[in-house]
Order: sequence, then C-alpha cells, then structure tokens
Amino acid sequence: MNKFSWYEAKSVEDAVKQVNNTVSEELYLPSGKAAIFKSGGIDVLDLVKEGLIQPKTIVNVRNIPGLNKISFDDNGLRIGANVTLAEIEGNEAVKTRYAALHEAVAHAATPQLRNMSTIAGNLAQRTRCWYFRSSDHPCFRKGGDKCFAKHSETGQNENHAILENDRCVSVYASSVATALLAYQGSVMITNGKMESRQVPLSEFFVAPDQDVSRENILEPNDLITEISVPAPDMNTKSYYSKQVQRASYDWSMADVAIVAQMNGDTCEKITITLGAAAPIPIRAYEAEKIVLNKKINEERATRAAKVAMENAKPLSKNSYKLPLFESIIKQGLLEIA
Amino acid sequence: MEKRKEIFPFGIPGHNLSEIEREIPNDEPPAWPVNDQLKEVGKRVNRIDARAKVTGEAKYTSDMKLSGMLYAKFLRSNIPHGSITSIDTSEAEKVPGVHGIHIITKNKEDGMVGNEYPEIKYVGQPIAGVAAESLSIAKDAVAMIKIEYDPKSFVIDLEEAMLPDAPLVFKEPIQRQEDGGDVGVVHDGSKGQGNLRGPTTSSFYGGPRGDLEKGFAEADVMVENTYRTQVHTHMPLETHGVVIDWKPEEMLVYASTQNTAGVRNELANYFELPKSQVRVICDFMGGGFGAKHSAGSFGPMAAILSKKTKRPVWLMIDRKEEHLAEGNRPSSIQTLKIGAKRDGTLTAIQQKSHGTAGVALGAGVGRIAQILYDCPNFKTEQYDVLTHAGPGAAWRAPGNVQGAFGVEQAIDELAEKLKMDPLALRDKIDKSEVRKVERSRGAELFGWSNRKPAGSASGIIKKGMGVAQSCWPRFVTLNSSIEVRILNDGSVEVRGSVQDIGTGTKTILAQVVAEELGLKTTDITVRIGDTLFPDGPGSGGSVVTQSITPPARNAAYEAKMKLFNQIATKWETEASKLEAVDGFIIHKDDRSKKIPFKEALRGMRTSQISVTASRSNDYGGFQQPWGLAYGDLGSVQFAEVSVNTNTGFVKVDRVVAAHSCGRPLNMSQLESQVNGGVIQGISYALYENRVMDKGTGHFMNANVDQYKVPYSMEIPEIEVIIVEEYGALSSTDAYGIGEPANIATAVAIANAVYNAIGVRIYEIPITPASILKALNKIYE
Amino acid sequence: MSNEITISVNGKSETHTVEGRELLVDFLRERLSLTGTHVGCDTSSCGACTIHMNGQAVKSCSILAAQADGAEVTTIEGLASNGALHPLQEGFNEEHGLQCGFCTPGIIMTAADFLQNNSNPTEHEIREALEGNFCRCTGYHNIVKSIQYAAKKMNA
Repeated sequence: MNKFSWYEAKSVEDAVKQVNNTVSEELYLPSGKAAIFKSGGIDVLDLVKEGLIQPKTIVNVRNIPGLNKISFDDNGLRIGANVTLAEIEGNEAVKTRYAALHEAVAHAATPQLRNMSTIAGNLAQRTRCWYFRSSDHPCFRKGGDKCFAKHSETGQNENHAILENDRCVSVYASSVATALLAYQGSVMITNGKMESRQVPLSEFFVAPDQDVSRENILEPNDLITEISVPAPDMNTKSYYSKQVQRASYDWSMADVAIVAQMNGDTCEKITITLGAAAPIPIRAYEAEKIVLNKKINEERATRAAKVAMENAKPLSKNSYKLPLFESIIKQGLLEIA
Repeated sequence: MEKRKEIFPFGIPGHNLSEIEREIPNDEPPAWPVNDQLKEVGKRVNRIDARAKVTGEAKYTSDMKLSGMLYAKFLRSNIPHGSITSIDTSEAEKVPGVHGIHIITKNKEDGMVGNEYPEIKYVGQPIAGVAAESLSIAKDAVAMIKIEYDPKSFVIDLEEAMLPDAPLVFKEPIQRQEDGGDVGVVHDGSKGQGNLRGPTTSSFYGGPRGDLEKGFAEADVMVENTYRTQVHTHMPLETHGVVIDWKPEEMLVYASTQNTAGVRNELANYFELPKSQVRVICDFMGGGFGAKHSAGSFGPMAAILSKKTKRPVWLMIDRKEEHLAEGNRPSSIQTLKIGAKRDGTLTAIQQKSHGTAGVALGAGVGRIAQILYDCPNFKTEQYDVLTHAGPGAAWRAPGNVQGAFGVEQAIDELAEKLKMDPLALRDKIDKSEVRKVERSRGAELFGWSNRKPAGSASGIIKKGMGVAQSCWPRFVTLNSSIEVRILNDGSVEVRGSVQDIGTGTKTILAQVVAEELGLKTTDITVRIGDTLFPDGPGSGGSVVTQSITPPARNAAYEAKMKLFNQIATKWETEASKLEAVDGFIIHKDDRSKKIPFKEALRGMRTSQISVTASRSNDYGGFQQPWGLAYGDLGSVQFAEVSVNTNTGFVKVDRVVAAHSCGRPLNMSQLESQVNGGVIQGISYALYENRVMDKGTGHFMNANVDQYKVPYSMEIPEIEVIIVEEYGALSSTDAYGIGEPANIATAVAIANAVYNAIGVRIYEIPITPASILKALNKIYE
Repeated sequence: MSNEITISVNGKSETHTVEGRELLVDFLRERLSLTGTHVGCDTSSCGACTIHMNGQAVKSCSILAAQADGAEVTTIEGLASNGALHPLQEGFNEEHGLQCGFCTPGIIMTAADFLQNNSNPTEHEIREALEGNFCRCTGYHNIVKSIQYAAKKMNA
C-alpha cells in the first residue's frame, strides 16, 4: 500500500468537502492527489493493496453520525449508508417483508465481513474480474485498450458476462444489488454542494457502453447517505437464488431475484433481475412480459426463462451460464406462483 | 550387533491375527503386544502442543522477532519469458529505512551486472530482494526498482508446449533440475526434444514387465480412455519463509519447513559452510503438504541480506508469491488402456502420461498403475512437459493422486463392462489382504449394498456412490536419529531435528517414550525441529512415523535399561527382572518391591542418562532390489454425492475412508490426518484449479478469494476406519498415513458422480459447467 | 500521514502514533507482539486474522489501525481469563480441532462471537458461521465438534 493520510469525517458536509475523487476515476485516470471515501473499507483496501489506486487521503465516513439507522414503515425500508450487512441480515422487517433481500444479504461474503461491510460500500464496490483486479492487466476499465477476458483464445472468462458484454465483460460484484434492484430500491446521494438527490437503482448503475470507466453514477464529491426500498404490497412474493461453485463464501456465478405482486396465481406486477449476467445488475424485461398479468405455470416459466437468455452472447468459457440462469429463473417463477 | 529372537503379533486383529518370530538386535526392546494391551500407544491422547496453539502462544516462523531484525521483500518478474536488460536500484536505495538490496545473478557471488541475470522463465520468478526496517518500507523500495526486460514468446498450455514450434523453456538439456515432486524417482531432464523430457518408464518397482501385445490379445474386454487433471497449489495457511541471523559463529535459521536437516544441508552447501555452523529451527509450522522441503530462493536471499546488513532478516513471502512460485501439483493428461478376461483377471495395462510442473520436472503419475493390481503385462511412459509457469513441488502423494484418478476410473469402467460390482472386481484383482478387510469393513459402514445402477436415480438432484483404492509405498529413512534424556528429577526429554508440521509428531514421540518408560504422555517434554539435536527425517512421503518412532522407543528402552542396571545393583538383582509401569519401577518377581520412577533417579551418578538411537533395518529386512519396506499403506475410500442436474452443483454428502498404517499410535490424530486428506481430495475433485491467462502468462486467481478451496460447508460427514495391521517390522511397527489419505478421494468422487448421472467426466475439477456440459444442457 | 490512536487491546489501553496505511493486524503483531493473530492471505479471505472489535468478529487484515481508534479489541491472547482456558480453547484441545494450528486462533475468535449470539447451535449453523475461515489441514470436522463441546460447556 502507498502512504496515505487518514481523515475522520465528522459529518456529511465535512466528508463531501474533503473528497475530490471517486475510486473509479482514480483507477481510470490516476490523479495522484485523490482523496476518496471509505466506509467498511474492504473493497477500497483491496484496491489499494493491489496498487490499483494510490490515494493521497482516505476519508472515513464510517463514523458519521446518523448514517447507521435502519427503519421500516408504511413508506418502506430506509437503510442508512453505514448500516452493516450483518445489521440488515438481523433486521426483523427485512426478514419478514423483504425475504429476497434477506437471502441475498445473508449469502454475501462471510460473517466477519458482514460485520464490517456497509450497504453503501457493498453497492459501490468494483467488479471482481480478475483482470480488472490485476495491476499487470491494463483493461478498458482502468484506461487500457482491451478486454483481456473477452479474447476467445486466451481469455479466462468462465465467471464473466453473457449479456451486454460487447466491450467489457466483467460482472457486477454485489449480489445484494440484484435483490435491491428487484425491489426497485433507490439511493440517496449528497453532493459537494450539499444537495441531495434520490436516484432509482435502475439509473444508478452505468453500463460499459455508456462509460467503461465506471460502474455507477457517483461523481467525485458524491456520498451515498441512504438506501430506500418501497414497502411491498401484502400480496408480494419474492425469490432470490445465488448459484455458486461452493456453498461457503463464494462469488455468484448466476443470481436471480424476483419480486412479484400476485393475485391468486396471477402475476400483477413483477421484476426479474439478474446478477453476474452482465457488467451491471439487469432486469429481464422481456421475461417479465411473458408472465405479467398471466398465471404462472410450468410452460410460461420455462418460456420466460428462455426469453431471458435470448440475447445472451456467451464467451469461450461461460456458455454454462445460460442453462444455469434458465433453470433458476424458472424455479423462481414456479416458487412464487 | 548380537541378535535375539522375539515373538511379535502379526496380521490383522479380527481377521487373521497370529504371531511371528523375528530376529532383532539385542539392544532393541521386546515386542509390544497389540494396542489393546498398551496404555499410551494407540489411544486417543490429546496433543501435547494444543494448548500453545489455542492460546496464541505458539510461535511460528512468521512470528519470530529478533533484536534489530529487518524485513525483506522480493521483487519478482511480471513477464513469463525474457531476459532482463537492466535493473536500476538507485531510487530504492534512497528510501529511508532501506538497509540492503540484493540482485540475483547467474553467479551467486554478489555485484555482477549486465547479462548475468538469469533468464526469466515464469511470472513470479524472484529477481531481487530488499531488506528494510519494516515490511511496508521494503515494499515501497521494491516498487521503486526500475527493471527493463527483453520479452520473449512463451508457452503456458501443456498441449501447445508439445507442438514442434513452441517457444522453448530450456534450450539446453537439463542436467539437474529441481524435482517437481514425483517422490522416489528422479526425472531425467537430459532426454527428450523441445519442451518434452523423458519418458520415465521405470521406478523403484522396476521397469516394464511381460508382453503388452500378448496381454491385449488375451483380453476379452478392453477399456481405453484419456483422463485429465489440473494444476493445483499447496496453499498452506502459513506461507514459505525464514528468519535468518547470520552471525560470525553461526547462521541461525528459523524456517517454516518440513525438513530442518535438509534446509541446514542445503544452506551449508550453498554457502560452503560446515553443517555445524548452520542451525535450523522449526518449532511450530503452519502446514506444508510437500512444498516446504527446501530453502528455496528465500533462504539464500535472507541469508545474503543478513550477511550484508549484519542484522537478522525476516523473509516470509505473501499469498500471491506462494501461489506463483512455491510449488504446485503438476497437471496430467493420461491415456490408459487396460485389458481383462471375462472373469476380471487383468491381462495388460498400458499407461502414457504428459504433465507439466512448469519450469521443473517431476510431472509423473506415480506407481498406482504399476502395483495396485496384479497384472503380468505392464508398461508406462511418463513425460514431463516444460512450460513457462511456476515450478511444481511434491504435493501429498505426488504422482499417485494424478495416477489414481485415471486408474481407478478405468477399473470402474472395466467393472461395468464386465457386469461386475466394482468391489467384487477389486476382490478378484487386488492381492492385498489389508485392502480386502478395508473393502469389507468400509462397504458395510458405507452401505455399499444400497448403490443403484449408474444414472438410474430419478429427480433433479441425483445421488450416486463411488469407491476407489490407493496404495503408497512404505518408505523408511534409515538416517533417522533421536535422543532421549532422563534427568535426575524424573523428567524426560526427547530431542531431534525431526519437525512436527501439524500432524502430531511431537505427541506420538511422547506417547511412544511414555509407554516404554511406564509414564504418561504428558510427562514427556518433546523438543524437536532443531538441528542442534540428532538428525531426523523430512516430513514427506509419510516416512516420519516409521522412521523416527522406532529409534525413539529404542533410545527410551536403552536409557531405561541403564537406569535399571543402577537399580538392579542396589536391589541385588538383574536389570531384566525390572519393569517400568504406571510411574513405578517394579521387581517383576516381587511386585511389592517398587519405587516411583522419579525417586529411582535421585541416586543417579550423573544428572542425566542420555541415549541417542538411530533407525535400524526392518526386522524382516527390506524388499529387494528396491529397498522399500514390505507391505504398502493402502486405503479404500467410499463417496456419496448429490448432483443437481439443473444447476450442475455437486455436493459430497458422505465419505467413508478405510485406512491402514501398521500399528496405529494415536487414533484421534490419525483421524484428523485422514479427514485432512479427504478434504484435499474433495478440493482437487471439485474446486481447485490454477487459472492461467494464455495471453499474458499470468496466474489469474493467485489469491484465496478466487482460487477455490473448500470451507466448512463443503465438507461432508467423514467416517474413518483404521484397520490395525501388525507386520513385526520395527519396535513400534507404526507407519504414517498422510499421503494415503489423499489419493483415492477425488477419483471416488468422480466414480460417484458417474453413478449419479450416468455420464462419466474424465477431467477435474468437476464444476457446474462440466456437469451441465456432460448432461448436454449447454447450447450455443 | 500519521495519527495518534488509542485502542483498548485485551483490556489494556494502547496509545500509538500510526501511519494511515498501517493495518490493525500489523498494529497487533508488530507493535504489541500479539502474534497469535495470524496472517494467511492479507486480503480478507482466509480468516486467520479474525479478532473481536467492539465485540464483533472481524478480519484485522482489512481494517486500518486508524479505523480502530477508540475501539475495544480482543485477540486470542485475551480470551482466557485468569489462566483458565475459554471453553472454546478447551474444546479445540479435547476434540482435536486443530493440526498445524495456524488457522486456530482465527477460528476460535469467529466461534466465540458466534456462540455469543447462538448459544445452542446446530451443526449446520456452526458450519455456516465458519464460512469465512479457511483450514487446509484438518477437515473442519473436529473443529465443529470442538465448538459443540464449548457450546455444551457454556450452557452447563
């Protein structure tokens, strides 16, 4: 790790004034003068340890008062930016009303890391693509001129994207994001002028074809202060499944979240989201259409699952992801039916 | 040496236990009865070093702190092949806190420049080292060394390396090359073309036998297939490293090693020092699994930096370096052709293999095909393929784990073709008595009779059962000595250079000595892992128990007899009339005549009795011409798996592992060893895989995060059966179990996966992707 | 680049001036010589460096010392009280829950946090709790038994 100074932010205002860059920008165009945020700090430290970023200052936002509360009322769930994954996992409202979110959080990382990792940090973490994580591989996301993983003969891309993978083929690291997107959550962001704005998660993530240097919209002085999730209808059913090579602590090979409002066995509203399928968590809109306002049965579930993979362009080593996604989308739909 | 005759237990209790008369050296103790009649040996004794480990008091090499100590860090190559054109350390030298920099040159003397740098042959090859006041400073300085390369084309992939126009790893024949770890066989690097070396066709079990063509002509049924295994790394939780203080009178080395005496010899040889002036210590050691026999490049580097700076130097490598440069199990591509008669009798086995240990040799597939089953016609050709990747190293049962993956699947396939139960076929072709018992006891505990035909399971999640066998030679290191000291306060000390790498060597030594002296295991102090004491074996090849426990018992016996002689004089009797039991020395003919062990020592003429004993030849002699002990260390392992046919997820539900190791010394420690072997087998079968980028030659998952190893949730119920087997071959008649525990698991799982889904998978690791592919679920 | 921090470690207040980049695990091992906390991977994956910070199990290789300013830290060395082993330490001894022992302190610290919140766990729950601790030697089997031993003893 390079030498950096440590700044303990006392308030949101204090924090946004201190910070002048994002991790993404620092990776893409190193300034040598960056002051960046850290909360739980796991991902930032990993990047600093590998020498991918060399911040001048790390601004700790973990102890800012007021960002560590989690509450639930008729308007929904509000999770302060510094609430840990362990606290979300243990929250009664999350357990009972947001089962898919609970499942996703409970299977993120390990108990020790869930004690440290905050929800905002989890959403803002960078991809685990092993080329991205290697300082010896200057890929698109780091200002380089290629995607090493995509190469059909030399690329090691078994964990990589099958959808929206024309340029960068990394997949988003957070599986909690898959669930939050399915619940149509949003992110409250405060900027350097102390202006706050609420951004739906569907607009928070940035695909590589829009801007390969980043994975989210956060600007240098932007600080996430809160995540909010609408209150689910009483008829809401949800599903989350993360497929991994091993059951203990593992990154997702394919994860699917489904949140649906059911009237009997008819689906009146639905979101189906896919993680580890594309560079950002995505909604399977076409698949949703197959079951929307219909009864979910074996045949429709099968068709929806197929449609979700219709545009997939598997790489040299990850075509197994197609049947994998299909099988869990189908299973999820049948489970909520 | 005069000899006498003794009657020993012989055979397997509950099966064929009998007695046998052996001639033994006069200074060795009488035969022990079977374990049932012993007090400390064979029991579930707690580890004598556990307290230090659970409290954090145990000091590992990485925990050492010497006064004035510096911390060192390597600079390593980040290209796979090329030459170094320049190295500029001027900026690094200016970093405050940096005390010494050493650049590795072809000539080991310092100060060479220009083209004298060794050619770079893999990513992660050490180039230079920096010693500084803290590890952070050393890392800062390493980052400031400017290095320029002339890169050359390279080859990572085993099959591509065999092509005629592949970039060459070594242009010259390799005279002597670090052995990638095919234990017992030195691979010949002088033969072969291009990147190919070999073939190795013989081993200590001899060369080819019989007539293959005739054998295949006689066969009614044939199996012929190709099996592939991956490269996997050792990943001991403590990385490789040393702390070295090169003082004028002695080079003091703390090393995380499996072989203190070996590291001492290596460093003494490298620096042309007398062995008496190099002392290597390893008290607690955080795992090795075969990779930690050598001083590596870190040993000489730390020594040179210590000499330069005149200060102790700490040099532990980090996890990434460990993956890149400090050993791996070579890959293999093996073709096997096996012929058999209708009744199962094998008529011929032909084996051909290619494997890569990167820039090292030793990528063979072991002896399983040659010796596990009776077969008159046999031939093997085992080739090393050199690639631009980190060197292989011995890895728990080197060669045999790869070899078993082919052989034991082929035997399973043969059984199916013959319409025989896989166990029944093995009963027919395996002449080992102990494996027969292991098969029968294992099958009963496992419930083998519930096994269903392959692919017949219904539902999405299919269960399957598989079995596989293994064998491992009984190696004995005759150059194994140990000292037992009985002090005049009644305390007892065992001293040797043999190290405990976590298997429990300290505890079994204490048990054996305690048994001989009629004391408790906890009464014995064990100081080992220090070359100040008599040389013991390296902890590899499962040699330690059979090499070091007999001399430990013999030394304790001799020390005891010296004590008895003194007491016998006082009691006006003969030493042979005395015995040591339950903390007392007792007159056998008049049991009222007894004295506590501690009291008996008070009147000693000197303050201690000290005896050093060395391993003698096996009582029954050794097999000739190879010089191995008789018998082998066999196992039969059974696995049950669940395969989700929708997602390809495989879970091992249960393993029953039936093993033998002569006389078991500590049942709990043996079970731990077998459990450990089984998890590594599961890991090999389902998870681990070194992922190399063919475009850049980099090892992409050189971490703990994406290099997949099993954690708690992956581990099934493991039931261990230890079959006692007495061979009357030494004073303890006990053997190690480390290697055998690791051989059969992966292939038992492969056989179980086949049984579950009805499609055989010929390549490990078996992943969700390979299951979905086997089930034809992948479309483009 | 330096900060003065005060951390209570095993009940003792420790004030030191640290660089921003100093990791908590290095603070414990290098400054305080508490070498029972081990480094296995340095990247938050293996769990060998697990300690308690403010009562919770965390990986000390992924926390900066500065970040722990004001915290209460317990390491393996602080687990036994007045020379009496913690039931978990006893359990790992009695049930052979270790071989080389390098992962043991981290696993014991993880288990100690876990048992505070679940005093009567099932085997499955224990295995889930251990998913962030890597053991290469001993098969986890006896580790689970060691934790069961401790749970039983703590409930008695």
